[in-house]
Amino acid sequence: MNRRASTYALPFFLALTFAFFCVFAPRFATSANLENLMAGYAFVAIVAIGQSFPILLKGIDLSIGAIVALAGIVTLDLSLIFHWPGLAVIPAVLVVAALAGAVNGLLIVYLRLQPFIATLATLAAYRGLVFLISGRQLFPELSTTPITDPWIVALDTYFDIGSALGVSDFIQLPGLPLSFVILVVLLIGFQVLLLATRFGRDLYAVGGNHEAARLAGIRTRRVTILAYTISGTCAGVAALLLVARLTTSTEALGNGMELTAISAAVIGGVSLQGGVGTAWGPVLGAFLLGVVLIGLTLLGVTQFVQQILTGAILLAAVCQSRLIAARQQRRTDAALVAGG
Amino acid sequence: MSEINHEAPQPKRRGFIKTLVAGSVTAGGAAAGLLGDVDPVDGSFGMRQAQAQANAGPVKMAFIEWQPHTVPAAWSKGIEDVLKSQAGVQYKLLDGQNKVEVQVSLMDTLINEGTSVIFLQPIDSVALAPSINKAKRAGIPVITLNIDATAPHAAHVEMSHYYGAMDIARVMGEKMGGKGDVAILNAPPGIVIRDQRTKGFVDGMKKHHPSIKVVADQVADWSRKKAQDVLATILAAKPGLAGVYGVNDSMALGAVDVAKEKGLLGKMVIFGNDGERDALESIEKAELTGTQYTDVFQQGRFAAASATVLASGQVPATAFKKQAHLLMPYVIVTKENVAQIQPSQRW
Repeated sequence: MNRRASTYALPFFLALTFAFFCVFAPRFATSANLENLMAGYAFVAIVAIGQSFPILLKGIDLSIGAIVALAGIVTLDLSLIFHWPGLAVIPAVLVVAALAGAVNGLLIVYLRLQPFIATLATLAAYRGLVFLISGRQLFPELSTTPITDPWIVALDTYFDIGSALGVSDFIQLPGLPLSFVILVVLLIGFQVLLLATRFGRDLYAVGGNHEAARLAGIRTRRVTILAYTISGTCAGVAALLLVARLTTSTEALGNGMELTAISAAVIGGVSLQGGVGTAWGPVLGAFLLGVVLIGLTLLGVTQFVQQILTGAILLAAVCQSRLIAARQQRRTDAALVAGG
Repeated sequence: MSEINHEAPQPKRRGFIKTLVAGSVTAGGAAAGLLGDVDPVDGSFGMRQAQAQANAGPVKMAFIEWQPHTVPAAWSKGIEDVLKSQAGVQYKLLDGQNKVEVQVSLMDTLINEGTSVIFLQPIDSVALAPSINKAKRAGIPVITLNIDATAPHAAHVEMSHYYGAMDIARVMGEKMGGKGDVAILNAPPGIVIRDQRTKGFVDGMKKHHPSIKVVADQVADWSRKKAQDVLATILAAKPGLAGVYGVNDSMALGAVDVAKEKGLLGKMVIFGNDGERDALESIEKAELTGTQYTDVFQQGRFAAASATVLASGQVPATAFKKQAHLLMPYVIVTKENVAQIQPSQRW
């Protein structure tokens, strides 16, 4: 299997798993379940796309879950304490999330910290900040007040595409969540960014070989800071979608989401060695995790087994990419020996 | 170099075939799904009436817990006691993994699956409200355990947090002789139980023993180890502390550890809340002074009994204009009455 064939392995496996559950899991192949899958995992996929940018640079962003919590609590504070209209809250939250990500980038670039250490530090700092500024701590009655701002609540709408297309008499199409539409837009945007722009090429170059890229004149510092800013902004978008779905934010929001995002990105073919990966890989990885978890719950499999299976899928994905890399290496070596 | 050229045409074809297969499988699966359920037995598919399916199959109930812990495990055991004895009822326990979005996703899955009744221990009272409303619209009653939700639902069964804490304050004050300073070892902020238990304790002290002062209220994260550290710090600042109230038993036992270490066992009155097995044993050994004991198995049984009535279809979920609030009976356990709690009731 070479590089190109391997890009079809994940979509094929996803389709296979999906078909398996359609047949064997009761109520899996229903419009309601597809809706749940889309609504429940769209924000995971968005965080996974964001996470893939630092990973492409051979770094990692462990603070992404904390940034989700930070963005969420800022949404709550601005809506319920300061009574800002939703139209102002949304851009403000995105700016906060982007800045939080940029701080990661700045720490890594200017203090020369390892990404693991830098984002671990900001993870702790942001979690603490969340508790400090949380409206639910300052005004306890807010912990039982839902957010009702129309612009924010509108982020959780479902589009009735069945009636829009006029086919609702024949088949029941799932309602399309706005979060899924946003995911697709971001996916297309970032994939174009990665493949067709100078920044995307620079990203792959820096991830593949940082020193060579720097010597080639690429602004590695700017690329790094931008990558972590993108990661933070994606976390902010996911936070807004989550808060709309929950009508509130908790201080523990996004706990453990960094690990899910990293798993989704790695399953999606983004190499932890840097320089290899796409934007659609993490999305497929996130939905693979979603299909497996929802399907197993409907099959009645206990959640502990589910977690074991998730680990197994992650392991298989990593092994597959290592095998391909090893085979690629052998082929390149053989070609060099034959040619030179 | 030539080696690479030979490889070039084949992967394209292989890739194309794979896409074709993958595409048709997905399309087939999606089409099957959109047209209705695929019957795994005879492979047929088509529109099914949800009602017919619900009547045909077993009655499904599920409990979404916060995360694995002694309390939800005991509830689940109590629920099973009532449900397993009935033929035709399927019950399962689901782990919320301490994440609200996991609980929301599990609620969605259960609603889709045609569950008859959902037991829920919400991680957050507001965040689960949209899911509870969704369940209500689908005609599924939701019973919450210990932690209430802001959306009105069928029933809420709790350990009587507020009144229990008031009674703890009363008994504790009597043990302290009506005067002195107390410290509270509290739960992490943002959890409704914390506010109910703290308010109950403070109100109870004001009502029964107004000369007792609450001099410290520190967070000890529900944990025994953290409580040891926190109390040691408080004692350094206020060595004359007469009483300690741990908002759960683990924290109270941490206070006991510190008291033992400093030789203050007879001089400090320590109360917990919950009634765990370890706490009861500690009371028997005259270390912990007392706790609020609720029969958690019974709490599960109450919830399951309500669920059985609701699932019989006689009372629809939409009939609940006002939410039922079931406060579990409790006992303020001290050395004098701890022997009343039977081993089979201990959890």
